[in-house]
Amino acid sequence: MKKKIIVALVLSLSVLALSACGAKQSASAKKDIIVGTNAEFPPFEYIDDSGNPDGFDIALVKAIGEKLGKNVTIQNMEFDSLISSIGTKTDLVIAGMTVTDERKQSVDFTEPYYTAVQSVIVPVGSAIASFDDLKGKKIGVQMGTTADFISSDIEGAETARYNKSIDAVNDLLNGRLDCVIVDKNPAETFVASHTGELEALEGSNFDFEDESYAMAVAKGDAEFLKQVNDALSELKADGTIDKLTEEYIGD
Amino acid sequence: MFSELARKFTAAFITENRWQLYIKGLGVTLEVSIFAAIIGILLGTVLALMKLSEREDGKKSILNTIATVYVDIIRGTPSVLQLLIMWFIVFSTFNNGIIVSSISFGLNSAAYVSEIVRAGILAVDRGQTEAGRSIGMSKAMTMRYIVLPQALKNIIPPLGNEFITLLKETAIVGYVSLTDLTRAANMIASRTYEAFMPLIGAAVIYFVVIKLLTILLAHVERRLRASDKR
Repeated sequence: MKKKIIVALVLSLSVLALSACGAKQSASAKKDIIVGTNAEFPPFEYIDDSGNPDGFDIALVKAIGEKLGKNVTIQNMEFDSLISSIGTKTDLVIAGMTVTDERKQSVDFTEPYYTAVQSVIVPVGSAIASFDDLKGKKIGVQMGTTADFISSDIEGAETARYNKSIDAVNDLLNGRLDCVIVDKNPAETFVASHTGELEALEGSNFDFEDESYAMAVAKGDAEFLKQVNDALSELKADGTIDKLTEEYIGD
Repeated sequence: MFSELARKFTAAFITENRWQLYIKGLGVTLEVSIFAAIIGILLGTVLALMKLSEREDGKKSILNTIATVYVDIIRGTPSVLQLLIMWFIVFSTFNNGIIVSSISFGLNSAAYVSEIVRAGILAVDRGQTEAGRSIGMSKAMTMRYIVLPQALKNIIPPLGNEFITLLKETAIVGYVSLTDLTRAANMIASRTYEAFMPLIGAAVIYFVVIKLLTILLAHVERRLRASDKR
């Protein structure tokens, strides 16, 4: 028994040691950077007709790569995997991620590149119109998104967490949910393909706060963070971001 | 390094009482596994008997064909797709995720259980059936009083194995918005953006549960073998 415990301890310590010695090389010196995304979040990231990731975020990160003189490879993966990939499997992650204090403990965020607000998708004719109406309802969200945090805090509401927002929308159409909370832009995209069945309600009716999207890099890679931030502010200044906003988001 | 580990540990288990999420998740995992196992064992036994049924002329019976096709389809498709089909298509308006997942895994497990039961029954020497029949027992009586009790000894160990597989396979119920143990770990990682501790934590919990099951099964097997010594 003692032997077994010792073996188990040694094994778990070696896992810890291995995990600690991975990476830690700054991405700032790399010529090719790998950018992780979860292409299930239109219009920020989605798979286009030819099967490649496209969208506002993708175009933005490619523009950043150009500014930095780096080749950008986009890797599309599950949102769950995205989080663990930062700093090991990917150098930079762009996925409409909301900055929170808790997340700042584990990754470094770039300057925000977009301000978003949540929307509530309801079936046409639903009685839901204000924040109080959400109490005690069954609410669908994508796990780990701002919507998830909002919904988790609503009194008496039951939160159903999905891998993708579109799965939540499907269950709303199936009548399993009372509403879906999702960022405004994807909400409009989803509703557009179900006109007459679903409608998106403005987050301002529900007193939802604005949130900032930012990219994430490995914790402590200050040099790379600065590179990305500098490129980002150049893109803001030269109007590229406005142009992309117009192209992909439209308002 | 250790203060960093302590911070990660706190974020993964202690902040906002997150350890409760793992416990709740484990509850969902066990609920789905146990319901599915019950469905699997009942339906699996029926399927096995269907597969073993023979017509008087020795040709395949219709029951046999049905069971064979069923097992083929279930074994030939990934369980995650079966789950998604159940949730979004078959039971598209039925709300209870635990029940839909249990049915999906139960139907899946039944296919494997049926093979275990069939193999267990076939492993009982043909002479036993012949002996039962020659002392005047009917086919059903022979099956019930002579063959099945002996087959049970062959069936229980692999059945335990199947349950362990099932328990781990339920890690995909997150696809239908259930928060099982794996999902709970991912959910916590999505809040902290730190996946190491939640994933290792969930792995340790699965391991401990399955280790306990293994010990229990070893004990049962020993008891089953007790009559072998003479």
